[in-house]
Amino acid sequence: MVWIVQALGVAVLVAVAPFMWGIAQMVKARRQGRRGPAPWQLYWVIRKHWHKETTVPERSSWVFRLAPSVSMAVLLMIVITIPIAGRVPRDWPHNMLTLFFLLALERFWSGLAGLDTVGTFGGLGASRVTTLGTGIEPALFAALGIVWQVSGNGAMAPLAAPLSTAPASLLPWLLASTSVAMVLLAEWGRLPVDNPDTHLELTMMHEATLLEYDGRFLALSEWAMALKFTALATFGWVVLGPHLPSLWANLGLRVIEIAATAGALGWMESRLTKLRYFQLPAYLAVAAGLGMLGFYLASGGLSV
Amino acid sequence: MDNPWIRQNVALKEAHAELLTVTATRNHRLQATWLDPASGRQEQVTVDVSQEHFPSLTPMLPEVAWDEREIHDVFGYVPEGHPDLRPLLRTPRWPDNFRPLRDQPRARPTWRDAEPDNPALTVEGDGITIMKVGPTHAGVIESGHFVFSLMGENVLNLDAHLFQNHRGVESLLEGQTIDAVGAMVTRICAADTVSHQTNWALAVEALAGYDAGATLTLDRILLLESERVVSHLNDLAQIPAGVGFQVAHQQALAIKEDWQRGLQRLYGHRFLFDTVRPGWVASVDPENLLRLVHAIGRSWTPWRRLVEGHHGFNDRMAGVGVTTRAEVVRFGGQGVVARAAGKAFDARTLLPLYQDLRPVPVLESDGDVRARFAVRIHEVEASLRLIEQAAERLRRQTTPRDAHWRPPDEVSGQVVVYTESPHGLNVHEVAMDRGRVLRYHIRAATYRNWPLLAHAVPGNAVADFPLINKSFELCYSCTDR
Repeated sequence: MVWIVQALGVAVLVAVAPFMWGIAQMVKARRQGRRGPAPWQLYWVIRKHWHKETTVPERSSWVFRLAPSVSMAVLLMIVITIPIAGRVPRDWPHNMLTLFFLLALERFWSGLAGLDTVGTFGGLGASRVTTLGTGIEPALFAALGIVWQVSGNGAMAPLAAPLSTAPASLLPWLLASTSVAMVLLAEWGRLPVDNPDTHLELTMMHEATLLEYDGRFLALSEWAMALKFTALATFGWVVLGPHLPSLWANLGLRVIEIAATAGALGWMESRLTKLRYFQLPAYLAVAAGLGMLGFYLASGGLSV
Repeated sequence: MDNPWIRQNVALKEAHAELLTVTATRNHRLQATWLDPASGRQEQVTVDVSQEHFPSLTPMLPEVAWDEREIHDVFGYVPEGHPDLRPLLRTPRWPDNFRPLRDQPRARPTWRDAEPDNPALTVEGDGITIMKVGPTHAGVIESGHFVFSLMGENVLNLDAHLFQNHRGVESLLEGQTIDAVGAMVTRICAADTVSHQTNWALAVEALAGYDAGATLTLDRILLLESERVVSHLNDLAQIPAGVGFQVAHQQALAIKEDWQRGLQRLYGHRFLFDTVRPGWVASVDPENLLRLVHAIGRSWTPWRRLVEGHHGFNDRMAGVGVTTRAEVVRFGGQGVVARAAGKAFDARTLLPLYQDLRPVPVLESDGDVRARFAVRIHEVEASLRLIEQAAERLRRQTTPRDAHWRPPDEVSGQVVVYTESPHGLNVHEVAMDRGRVLRYHIRAATYRNWPLLAHAVPGNAVADFPLINKSFELCYSCTDR
């Protein structure tokens, strides 16, 4: 049963990813006073790219051609490891370290792909993505230190139940959740860290590494980008959100939660401006600090 | 220094005169025209260039660096002692002896088969990246090629290569009749078109000795200020886009669209093409324009509250892309860029056209993106008030509208005229000979502001360039011509 639910969960997440991206875009358009495209627009965009001719820059190597597949493969692995409905089969590799390293692998390849074409913007984007990564990784560890504290082994398990029995549980949970949300915004490349909708190459981060792609490579990269949002949102809710007793109900709850996250993201992005690039380390330091504070409190810091 | 050409020009600059134009005339002379901002009087300095060269003013007056390079490119006169005599308009495709504004008769050159790019000024050294952007950009942006020298995320140097779409307007205008010039002057630039048209009208009227009546003048104020509102609303919309503030961007564009649709309804053109001619101006019922102003005011106030109350947005603008007052004076900066740095010059205060409706120049002192944004906000409101006042006067006017004056066929003479376009001081130097154009020189405000942008960007993060660029929002078309 657990096997079936997990397999179904993976299929659902992959399938709805472009739609969830579209929900955020739709909310943003409405907030800007535009009608905007329908939430399923990204499916048409991906289909369009898929049927177009695929070209590669003259000076690029196999790294450039492999990177979109690596991206997609890594994100599929991430989705598979997450206990989407709250439980996984026995011996499942659902340790958070796996997730962190998979994210690092994806970042490494997108940086390489950006550099591979020897284009100016690709290099700029690669530099920014990697630099930001050095801040995101420790912040993510700090934000989720509390999970180790509670579960003891770093498994991606629901935190809510064990935490509710711990003393002073609400405050550590709030701190950890805020911290995770801040880091995920950076990992997704959304405001106030990166602006996925801009056409200004000089300000781009993740988008700049994709500029040279077209055709099937672009289609794959866009799906992977949407899947990253869905996968990490699921991860956040699994670890920090509520759980229902039934596996099937949990699966449904996840979809609703992701849609709500996408809506909230669109609403929030309409209120924010992008931070200065040189302020981003401070932003990530705040996220890490909040996470560490939560960890300290959860480990009984107050009672010592 | 003992050269009278240098001495007189430097003395005028030291007396705080504004440089209007420096250009060559048809009879082997260079001519600099200065404007005294206190009295509104013009003064001209000339030098003979029949020896093919002249002493360069650039070491003393860096603001003429581009003018001299342009004279070198299109007339072939050599400014001796110019520190940077790279081609400005000229590209490697031009034949060696091609001097488009000097050669007579005009012949179509045989273009050479070469890469069109001119060498760029870059910084060399370990760890320095050269980044080239444009001339084709993403989005609806004009053509400009920018060469950045970067150290990591920091800009060390910016070399802007404009004139990608040089149309040779000045050459095309030569020999045209009065009736033919209007349509071409209108199309020098869509953003400043009314200002260009008004300059042409003022030039012909001045040469023919025609004194425009009150109605004509008030109608022209309506058009000039309406154009300023379009342009400033566009710039105010683009600045938030530079930091991802899409809501403010789209809302300002919506206000601009409402305003332009109103102008389309009233004047028949969104950009006010062909609305001013010598002795004539398009006129509308002032009541209708007043209604449009009130309609815009309703959406303007909430927008202004949104941007002024947004902490993140104001933080992003503060201290970025700073141009000091000293730099503005040194490079002859104009318009919003100059006033945001504290230079109190607005050509409207000198124009007889504005009579007692003269606006007080809006000033800021920081010279950063925030200051330029603030100046535009205040100028939009000042322009709307000016439109209200002029429309109110037109409404109360009981005398019939002036009869359409036709300029005489045999207009001759030379005159330098100017208006304050949305981008700043816009100057036309017109020489006519018996009803035909002998020489037409256009010096738009942005021509003076481009070198300032290249000075404001180094020292900033390269990711802030779009924001700085949009806060200058310089016009390519006026500069390229």
